Amino acid sequence: MSCRLCRLGNFVDNGFVKRTIELINALQVDGIIHHYAIGGAVAATFYLEPAATLDVDVFVLLSNPGGSLVSLTPIYEYLKARGGIEDREHVVLGDWPVQFLVPANDLETEAIAASIPVDVEGVKTWIMLAEHLVAIAISTGRAKDYIRVVQFIKEKAVDQVILQAILKNHGLLSKWEQFQHKYLEGSS
Amino acid sequence: MTKGKDEMRRQLASLSFTEKIKILEKLRDRSLGLAAVGLRQKRVSEQPIVGKETSANRKEE
Repeated sequence: MSCRLCRLGNFVDNGFVKRTIELINALQVDGIIHHYAIGGAVAATFYLEPAATLDVDVFVLLSNPGGSLVSLTPIYEYLKARGGIEDREHVVLGDWPVQFLVPANDLETEAIAASIPVDVEGVKTWIMLAEHLVAIAISTGRAKDYIRVVQFIKEKAVDQVILQAILKNHGLLSKWEQFQHKYLEGSS
Repeated sequence: MTKGKDEMRRQLASLSFTEKIKILEKLRDRSLGLAAVGLRQKRVSEQPIVGKETSANRKEE
């Protein structure tokens, strides 16, 4: 690591992220959720250079999803009993605001199921595949998501065959072509 | 210059996830610090209008 990078990472390691992940893992161990995967900017950081973000997006498959009305109350209550602080759409765990999201479509459900195990400070967590992160970003279509997709493509951080299969399976090829036309044509 | 940035990006991307998470924490702390001291200026349209009387806040004298 160069000295410049050393300085960037040189601060007191307070173990906040480790504690956050341990609490999320406890949700799974105790059966509150069936499975989870980190998405958004934190997951993208696994594949790319770190980019500033203020929260952690955690997509969850609930153990007892119930009917059409999905409630995150069991998650909130469990975490509040263990020191989590509810703050609007977040639960603050170990100093990190965590937003729990239930999958809004089959793509997000598939992304959770296909997530990969990753080690953070000796604790196992689950990260969405790069191809699913790109597909979700294309599906969501926000400017900040598109910027991230450009990074994934530029850094060759996605397998194009897998990405095309996911986009096709979830009816996103048209959106992908529009994105390519607008953001990727002319770039090497 | 661009080449240097690309190299820097590659180096950052090649760090372990644990190291990247530490950098994320650092970046987040800095963002929150900047927001707390108000270095980000509000746009003129976001400034509160002080003292402007409207029908809603007009008081009977």
